[in-house]
Amino acid sequence: MIADDRRARLIEAMAEADLDMLLVYGNAWQVDYLRYATDFGILEGQALALVRSDGHIILYLDSPLEVDRAELDCSGVDVIYAPDLIAEVDHALDRLRNHRIGTAPQRLLPRRIAGRAKALNLSDQTSVVDRLLMGKMESEIAAIRRAAKVADEGYRVFMNAACPGRADYELIAEVEAFFRANGVDDNFQIIGVGGVEVRGMIPPGGKRLKRGDLVTTELTPCVDGYYAQICRTLVIGEPTAEQRAAHALYREAMEAGIAAVRDGVIAADIARAENDVFRKHGLGEYTTSEYTRVRGHGMGLFADSKPHLLENVTTRIDVGMALIVHPNTYHPAVGYLVIGDAVIVTKDGCEVLTGVPRELVSVPG
Amino acid sequence: MEWNPQELPVDVLDARIARLRAEMKCAGLDAFIVYTNNVRPSAVAHLTGFTPYWNEGLLLVPASGRLVFATALSNRVVDWIRSTNPVSEVTSTPRPGKFLGEWLAKDTVKQAGVLELDAMPSELASDLAIAAPAIQWIDGSSTFAGVRRRIDAAEQRMLERADAIAVAALDEVNVTAISDAGALAGLVEKQARLAGAEEAYIAVSPDLVSDLRFNRISKPISLAERFAVRASVAYKGSWVRRTRTFAKDDFVRRANIWLEDVVRKIEAGKFFAGQLAACVDALPDAKLANWMVESCSGSYPLSVVASSRSSEGKAPIDGSFYVLTVEFLLEGGPWIGSAPLIVGKPAP
Repeated sequence: MIADDRRARLIEAMAEADLDMLLVYGNAWQVDYLRYATDFGILEGQALALVRSDGHIILYLDSPLEVDRAELDCSGVDVIYAPDLIAEVDHALDRLRNHRIGTAPQRLLPRRIAGRAKALNLSDQTSVVDRLLMGKMESEIAAIRRAAKVADEGYRVFMNAACPGRADYELIAEVEAFFRANGVDDNFQIIGVGGVEVRGMIPPGGKRLKRGDLVTTELTPCVDGYYAQICRTLVIGEPTAEQRAAHALYREAMEAGIAAVRDGVIAADIARAENDVFRKHGLGEYTTSEYTRVRGHGMGLFADSKPHLLENVTTRIDVGMALIVHPNTYHPAVGYLVIGDAVIVTKDGCEVLTGVPRELVSVPG
Repeated sequence: MEWNPQELPVDVLDARIARLRAEMKCAGLDAFIVYTNNVRPSAVAHLTGFTPYWNEGLLLVPASGRLVFATALSNRVVDWIRSTNPVSEVTSTPRPGKFLGEWLAKDTVKQAGVLELDAMPSELASDLAIAAPAIQWIDGSSTFAGVRRRIDAAEQRMLERADAIAVAALDEVNVTAISDAGALAGLVEKQARLAGAEEAYIAVSPDLVSDLRFNRISKPISLAERFAVRASVAYKGSWVRRTRTFAKDDFVRRANIWLEDVVRKIEAGKFFAGQLAACVDALPDAKLANWMVESCSGSYPLSVVASSRSSEGKAPIDGSFYVLTVEFLLEGGPWIGSAPLIVGKPAP
């Protein structure tokens, strides 16, 4: 069982860090630390979990609906309904004052508990869990492969749903329905529809597709807790010469980034390889934070895992890491454009998981 | 979803902000801070119309002047945030707490209320405190709950829309034609999203007789003769829950009618427990097993305000919004249903 393997790794890491316990926070946005420890994919409310060095885990949840789900999903975990979550966990920690307790992720820990760190003997151990989240076991990579495969299938559903007159949320509806019926627990997806006025992808707003629109999407299904992403752009009707040229540039940048992925490089090397292509074409400005967020990122128990691929990130890239390489940004002639493939880092390069062709697809318009 | 000024006029948002400012004045607060992320979006959505799809942010409500929304969402989506949040200045910053702390430090703020102060993420709280060391931070949850006591006409319309989406999605379930829980969840979610739901959490109890618990199902699981579906649906920041039991027996039909009748009858000022007990007489062949009432008074879309698990009595407030969930036990198997209500107003 993948959850048992993770738990064993976590206990080992806790022993190395000389911890008696680990206090983990999670919600549906930042779920990865919690899922690593408990295997629970929380949807509503917030959770705190206490992991003991002997492997005993108590999961505190403030939603009774989530308590039912956790009891069904998380074997070997004591699930407690705590309507006043923070007060209840604070009291539990009060009784554990002689223990060395690590916390993760520290920045999201509720203020009341973090404010008593000294009295409760709490120490920030976010980086310990981050290392576990980034360096995947074979069973985790297998789950990401499954997620990448269904991401491909989901993109085809998206593509087939795109036609003039349809609202952006209708495309998302088709994809989500396909995912729910095909083993996908969750999906993070944003979309962009239009031309030069589009500066980024956002949740669907009701925009209707029309001839000439670029339709961008970042689709991130979750299988057995693991997210894999695909980014693609399609055009309604025949692409213009400018759209074709812009897409070719982004594809070149993505392929340069993928070519830079290998064991031992740092995150910045991949971002730089992507950005150099933009700079070569006189579009270096569009690789800055004014127009783009990251040039890719890790994948795993969180849709936007570490490391972030940016030219100032020095995290070492190791064998077994899962990444999405995506030079997504604004293009002054055609608007926001995306393309991204999921990869697994190998010793000499990477295994590309994404199977959808890298072409700018045209759908009849 | 995009902001529609006819649906949520600026005047309505201004009135909500004015209500908060009146409550702030009573509580002696010079400013108010509200946290948001996609799990705790409701308070900021109520005041501004904005719901984040990702990441987090802080809304500052000063005693007067324009609101300030600082978010860690990236710069490229700031224009979109502005388009859905017509009442705030919007700033993208990696440290929203530092940004607003510095803003407050320049003002004459002595006491600032914070919605759900204990739950504020530590980094944001620490940034606020460091940037504005002279300010006293006070939990403002009860102050904000005062604002949420009565829903306004705009919110009622949004809740009605969310509920109509949930009901229509559940109406698509054909008990004789569907046999798989994963496909069922996909069908209900698709219908909800096609009708404009911005979020839909569909949970299924595939065999109510053996297990009353619901889960988010995405794998093939056979549906038993008696199953139930819970649709939690959001429309532009307004969330409702509808739970429906499906089975080929007459009790299900009668219980569904009973629930619709009960949500119309709930009165202000009388404990939920007592009102429910009185209504159960209408179904003499059923035994009330559990009940739960949820509402929205803070950052969560829905949270429990009263239930059969808690011994504390709670009475509904006139003009407030609730979701009532009831579980019955009877000979043929259990029945679970939930429906929304607004006390003193026709059911949405």
